[in-house]
Amino acid sequence: MIAPFFKYGMFGDEMSLVVAFVTGIAFGFVLERAGFGNARVLAAQFYFRELRVFKVMFTAIITAMVGVYFLGRFGALDVSLIYLTPTFLGPQIVGGLILGAGFIIGGYCPGTSCVSAATGRIDGMVFLAGMMGGLVGFAEIYPTIEPYTKLTSFGQVTLPGLFDVSYGFLVFAVVVMAFLAFVAAEWAEKLIGHKVPGPGDLTEPGRKLTSVRAFALGLTGLGVVALLAGSPYRTAFARVDTKQLALDAGSAAAGVKATELADWIVQGRNDYLLIDVRDGADYATYHIPGALSVPLASLTPDFARRNEHIVFYGDSEMQAAQAWYLLRSLGYPSAGMLAGGLDAWKNGVLYPQAPAEGAAPAAQIDFARRTAVAKFLGGAPRGAGSVSLETATPALPQLKLPAAVTTPDVNRPVKKKKEGC
Amino acid sequence: MSSPPDISPAEKPFMNAYLAGFLLGLVLLSAFVFMGRGLGASGAFTTALSTGVHAIAPAHAEGNAFYAGYLGDGTSNPLKDWLVFEVLGVFAGGFLSGALANRLKVRIEKGPRISNPRRLIFAAVGGALMGIGAKLALGCTSGQALSGGALLNVGSWAFMLCVFGGAYGLAWFFRRAWL
Repeated sequence: MIAPFFKYGMFGDEMSLVVAFVTGIAFGFVLERAGFGNARVLAAQFYFRELRVFKVMFTAIITAMVGVYFLGRFGALDVSLIYLTPTFLGPQIVGGLILGAGFIIGGYCPGTSCVSAATGRIDGMVFLAGMMGGLVGFAEIYPTIEPYTKLTSFGQVTLPGLFDVSYGFLVFAVVVMAFLAFVAAEWAEKLIGHKVPGPGDLTEPGRKLTSVRAFALGLTGLGVVALLAGSPYRTAFARVDTKQLALDAGSAAAGVKATELADWIVQGRNDYLLIDVRDGADYATYHIPGALSVPLASLTPDFARRNEHIVFYGDSEMQAAQAWYLLRSLGYPSAGMLAGGLDAWKNGVLYPQAPAEGAAPAAQIDFARRTAVAKFLGGAPRGAGSVSLETATPALPQLKLPAAVTTPDVNRPVKKKKEGC
Repeated sequence: MSSPPDISPAEKPFMNAYLAGFLLGLVLLSAFVFMGRGLGASGAFTTALSTGVHAIAPAHAEGNAFYAGYLGDGTSNPLKDWLVFEVLGVFAGGFLSGALANRLKVRIEKGPRISNPRRLIFAAVGGALMGIGAKLALGCTSGQALSGGALLNVGSWAFMLCVFGGAYGLAWFFRRAWL
């Protein structure tokens, strides 16, 4: 049995809703037990009177983090299948600051306000109503601000990937920092909140090994083990669902159209990985801007995160299809390929054919757009009837990346490999 | 008007913060193990809102990329959603725990120096900011800070620091609301 159970098809959508409800009950129960239904308890955090928010949140984070690491390391959990919210650094910094302001003004965050409302707090109910108002406001201005919400995109990236250190080292470092911060938090409570450390505190007087201290020592010990135990990303999860693969191969969903890919490049999108599966020499001669070279022979099962939206291409669709088939059977649900391969890219994007004389205005407008895209990517349009596809297939342009094209994080797959399992 | 102190003797004390955190961590871990996703909250309200707007003004909802993103492809009811059911559970679980600890009571949580109407205005304004911030950051304290934090997600850690930064930065100006 390999987790995540849902993503390995051990139960379906209906059952997942039951799991959702039960998970939610446990979530709400613990939040209420922690005192988070009470805005005064939550706000006390920001006056250093009582740092429960910090303690509960970071204990939860390090507990789950250590659990994920070891389940992944022992092959019980396929860590790279867990959904990772993509990083849009700017919007997340601004959003975090706004959310922090909402927290100190309103006294809750969305999850805790549910618990507050459920236990009879009127302020919690009003907070929820205010939140709905904020959501309406955001939705109505969204069409205007949408481009700004997509700025500074880094894709799915973890701290170990960003700093190029091992996952285990980060686990160790976060656990140690958390416990040091907890001790500091208890000092702050003593100094500012005049709360004497007692049973259940790390800094309780005496040298007795209390359960809280044992917990701290245990998690720190696991952190030390994580430091030495290697990567939690297991790679041997091949599970071929031939029926699903056949269905996917037949459907258009697996293919990305050449014109669509060109638009992504022009827009500077980098929420996908473009992979050139041809030989290194072919790649050096020409490749689509932003593509990474991973020749078929060197395609290892752990070359990217399993969640990543991957687009393969080769000279023909066949070449990419081999890579696609391999990765799909290894459990990369979002692998796709460039429909028609480089031939389609050449004919459809780099050297678009002008429409015939007297074509519909829509076709003319589309061609004008295509021409701009082709020029941007180093190609040129072909006049109607002047050069036919068969007689003179234009050569691929020499490799010149337009300066404005942002390439997806080129170092990412390399780093993944260095992380090593 | 003066409200009575908010902790009446009958109420049970809160759980030890580290124990609560450990249990919360196990809940989060089980969500990763069963579903391959973390906990959340704000997304459920967005889904509910989008469904509501779609029922009243279908054309408006479908024409807005924000609402449309939460309505799915139309093949199933958008409310049959993991986060919606999870948040229903949060209400149920919070109520259950409150009932068992004698903490169910209609009241307004506030500091001693702020009036009830003012506190409720603050709650509404704070809630509105929370809704905007959560959508901009692609998640709230549950979905981003907690779930992403445990997965060592870069954006989640940046977000988390900014939440604490924003709240601490403004705490002095709102001290009359709480102290």
